[in-house]
Amino acid sequence: MIADYAQDITPQSLVTLLEKGSNLLVALPSKKQTIITSLAPEFSLILPPPGTPLVSHFPERDTPVTVVPVTPLSSNPILTPNTPPVWFSGVPFAYGNNPLLVPILNAPAESFAADSGSDSGADAVVEAADKGGEGLWAGSQMGLVAGFQALGGARATWVGGVELFSDEYAQKELPQGVKPGNTQFTSDVAAWTFQESLALRIDNVTHHLVGETGPRETYTINDNVVFTAHISKYNSGKSAWEPYSGITDMQLEFTMLDPHIRTSLPPATGNAGEYSVTFRVPDRHGVFKFIIDYKRKGWTHLQSSTVVPVVPPRHDGYPRFLSAAWPYYIGAISTSIGFVLFSTLWLAGDDREANKKFAKTTKTE
Amino acid sequence: MSILSFCLLSLLVVSGTDAAKLSLQSPRFTISSSNATQLRAEPISLAQQPAPLTLGLTDVLKLTFQVIEKDEGKGVQPHQTFLRFYDKVSGEEGIQPIRVTPAGKAKFELNMARPPTSLPPTTSSDPLSVSLLLGSFEYSPVQFDMFDIYLPESQPAPQHPDEATFHPLPTIVHTFRAEQKLPPRPISATFAALVLAPWAVLLGLTVKLCRDVAPFTTIYKGWGIVRPPKKLIPSTPLAQA
Repeated sequence: MIADYAQDITPQSLVTLLEKGSNLLVALPSKKQTIITSLAPEFSLILPPPGTPLVSHFPERDTPVTVVPVTPLSSNPILTPNTPPVWFSGVPFAYGNNPLLVPILNAPAESFAADSGSDSGADAVVEAADKGGEGLWAGSQMGLVAGFQALGGARATWVGGVELFSDEYAQKELPQGVKPGNTQFTSDVAAWTFQESLALRIDNVTHHLVGETGPRETYTINDNVVFTAHISKYNSGKSAWEPYSGITDMQLEFTMLDPHIRTSLPPATGNAGEYSVTFRVPDRHGVFKFIIDYKRKGWTHLQSSTVVPVVPPRHDGYPRFLSAAWPYYIGAISTSIGFVLFSTLWLAGDDREANKKFAKTTKTE
Repeated sequence: MSILSFCLLSLLVVSGTDAAKLSLQSPRFTISSSNATQLRAEPISLAQQPAPLTLGLTDVLKLTFQVIEKDEGKGVQPHQTFLRFYDKVSGEEGIQPIRVTPAGKAKFELNMARPPTSLPPTTSSDPLSVSLLLGSFEYSPVQFDMFDIYLPESQPAPQHPDEATFHPLPTIVHTFRAEQKLPPRPISATFAALVLAPWAVLLGLTVKLCRDVAPFTTIYKGWGIVRPPKKLIPSTPLAQA
């Protein structure tokens, strides 16, 4: 067993690798304490006291108590459904309160961590419950294989012991007489760790006004806007990214400091991989962002942010010719017509010749 | 002969993996309140579970039993004697080890006024199913489902502040300002008609004026006078205007 690592493998260098996007698959040492044991708490994994491997008397079998068959949960999206029980030997750990942890394999309910080898160690087991801060290391809340989805997109999987991957365990027959699921389980775990399964990405996002096709520089308040995102999933069989329409609970936020609108972004019928929603821009102007922030246990985090300014209507963007203004229109038009009519009558109606004649006839009388 | 004894021995070894079984002798539970009055005391039958137990906030549950080997009946101290509290609905679990004397006698006390840290978070409506796990290096492991118990509601398990962002968040709908309200169109039409009212007055008075003045005007037709004007009487309004 390698107790010392090369000079450049330190907990800090491993974390730097993870930040830069490399995926890690780490197995915890069962006997000695190495630098890996000191790195585990950084991932919110709490290890039991040194020298206490996982032990289980159930089910009755002819292997040592430290070699335990564990049944994986069928509902875990990382594993193939109905994987047979796997042989495990190593240390369990407790999960800290961190939502980035993805449990892959939990310990059987009847197992516990102990270092005794005979029935006379029973008292030590009971005293261990009072000693350690976390109490007794027992039950199905302990983990044996846990994944960690880092914020940068890289994945790190922590396994309680290396023997899970060995050929000997893959061939050993289970107490029920069937072949174990070690091969299937380890290839599922490796596929998830190295971004071959449950890996998503956003190909592009677009936005435009209802009725148009291209995006605008700015939108006006109360506009109806269509937002579209294209999402792909990696298909390891074909080594290619394929459009994926299976996300049913994605949400879009239209945010200016706080989300003003949060709606669901459902898959569009017709085009594979397209998710689209139409909504009305709030009647507040300002600089808004279309935000997609999709985080689910086991899946890649999807994050996208598109900035778009929203302006109030221009001077000619308001409704014109309101029905409430009819009296004013009628008034203005009738004033103009009246003026024209009066001017015509005044200028045309003054008959100078007729006045002169009248004046002449009255004077001669 | 040696071959036969070897075969017999190997048979024994094979049958030896079918180890002796463990059992419980006289398992009993007692629920008493904080002032030591007994509320319920029953023996636990492994064949049929007793009715679900209920513990109040200050009650005490005492569990006693002896672990024995099934065939011989002598007391045994197994390596693992755990009480498992499991909530089927939420999946929360708690494991509590029980101290067993070398003679196999075990006693467990659960005081709700000072509950052990190993209890899982409980809800008010779902019971915890309690089972006893016995594991040993020398005997076959065995699990006994003892009873269901209703415990007082506890604080829920603490959640990370970011946990909510890993699930769908509540929908936010923007309440828009109300649409600009306009008065009803008939009212606007009425007032528009009112605006045109002076024209009506003007037309009416013009017509009256024409009618009043018409007798005092000369009507010409074809370079000749058809009708001469009437004379204006000085005392009438038209002459004085």
